[in-house]
Amino acid sequence: MTTTNATALAVETTNLVKHYGDQVALDSVSFNVPEGSVYVLVGANGAGKSTTFKILLNLERPTSGDAKVFGLRTDANGPQARVQIGYVPEQQESPYPWMTSGRLLEYVAAYYPSWDAAYAAHLVKSLNIRTGKKSGTLSKGELRRLQLAMAMAHRPPLLLLDEPTEGLDIIARKQALSLLAEHLADSPTTVIIATHHVHEVDSLTDYVGVLKEGKLQAQMQRDELRKFVATQRPNDTRPLSLEDAIATLLSEETSR
Amino acid sequence: MSDRRPPTIAQVIREQFKATGLSLRIYLMIAAGLLLVATFLAITDFINGRGGVEFAPELSMIPAFAGALLPIAVWHRDRPFGSRFLWTLPFDRTRHTLAKMLAGWMWLMIAGATFLVWLLILALITKGNIAGDEVVKLLPSTVIPDPVTLDPSLVRTMTWIPPKALWLVPFTSATATYLLVTAITLGFKHPFRWILGTVALVYLMAAIGHGLAADAFWPRLGRITNTLMEGRYGVDAVLSARTESLHTQVVLSNAERIGVWRALPKISDWLIATLLWTSIGITGLIAALYRNREQR
Repeated sequence: MTTTNATALAVETTNLVKHYGDQVALDSVSFNVPEGSVYVLVGANGAGKSTTFKILLNLERPTSGDAKVFGLRTDANGPQARVQIGYVPEQQESPYPWMTSGRLLEYVAAYYPSWDAAYAAHLVKSLNIRTGKKSGTLSKGELRRLQLAMAMAHRPPLLLLDEPTEGLDIIARKQALSLLAEHLADSPTTVIIATHHVHEVDSLTDYVGVLKEGKLQAQMQRDELRKFVATQRPNDTRPLSLEDAIATLLSEETSR
Repeated sequence: MSDRRPPTIAQVIREQFKATGLSLRIYLMIAAGLLLVATFLAITDFINGRGGVEFAPELSMIPAFAGALLPIAVWHRDRPFGSRFLWTLPFDRTRHTLAKMLAGWMWLMIAGATFLVWLLILALITKGNIAGDEVVKLLPSTVIPDPVTLDPSLVRTMTWIPPKALWLVPFTSATATYLLVTAITLGFKHPFRWILGTVALVYLMAAIGHGLAADAFWPRLGRITNTLMEGRYGVDAVLSARTESLHTQVVLSNAERIGVWRALPKISDWLIATLLWTSIGITGLIAALYRNREQR
């Protein structure tokens, strides 16, 4: 079950394997993310989502296999790959607690020649970021909003969002997601979202990859996935949400 | 793919210089507070007739200690192991490490220069000795005589004016300690464990050696330590151009206890020791950089 359209690829991994000692974090993972699409990577904790992101950023070296970002092998072109990427990590802690939010944004801006100061100001306003506040004193939600602004303000062609709405309250989640939708409309961006909350990004999703215990169980277009799961349960006529489809798929894989 | 390029090395150094300065602000404020207290005490002493401050940069080990502590502060949030934020930024890891290290070193040099200027101003205000010349008593040889054996007439008295080149000692010593500790901080996942473990191992070996009644063990260990710390090219040669370790106390045959010099510091010893220890630091740093290079 691994189908994506044969268009230009923003991300391509081939038989990606990552071991941490005896533990297998990724087991021959091959997935393709077409340019301009929103790809949702789903899986339980420890399924390998964050490890995949770290390999794409060349923070981790794969045990075998390779990963490409816009055709660049990440292990040979780390900085060139990272400059294409806006990254929101899973961890919600300020990298430099002594810096104010505003100073942290300036810091990141220095690393991205493509930093759009006007857009950064717009994000700060929309996400209600208090630029004068020490980043070490921000709440989880405030920090997440700051991380989103840091990732998006240089208008990267590829966004890697690891649990982007984690720690946000309902209003902030809606704000963040509508801003993401606005961003996608304004800037040609490919997005990979690792999340447990599939229902939140359902409307944005083009492709879904399902990771389980380091293996890519399925990869297909959102509607294809729904149809595929629906065909597996012909007697059930209830409308099938993306989240239900993934849950069904995962439970079927488990029962096999 | 868009035509995006990572930042230039100049941009990264500039940003790291600013960010490192910001991270060190609290330590710089504490240091400024301590200098203020020291200024007050020195001026009080001067007013009370207890003499002025001597300007002897080679004697001050403060910059060297600052150099040893600084890497811990610089790399505290950006340890190279794991996925710290710094490494997610679009710049080659080796060059990034060097840029950040250079930024810390620049602050160290600025702090060292400020300290020396402060010392000079304080010496001027308190009418202290700026040339650093002093009357010294010199032993006939570098070997320290047994107590109450040295004939007082063999002790030579002379005026020693420290070469101006020794004003560089605080900068070179700070650079050497900074490089060495940076190499340890970046090279090991758990640097403190390695440092404490090494010290513990040395003591354990010493204890075992002692327990096995190897009478020669302690003196041998003592000689090694002494050579390492106070030898011609030892640690003290880097930190103070041996102005600390060459100075000692002896009891003359007439039972008088005096401060003497075993020999006068030599510029060449200081230069060789500095080159030697700085090279060790650079070698360690190269190994640490290799360990933390961009994943390939």
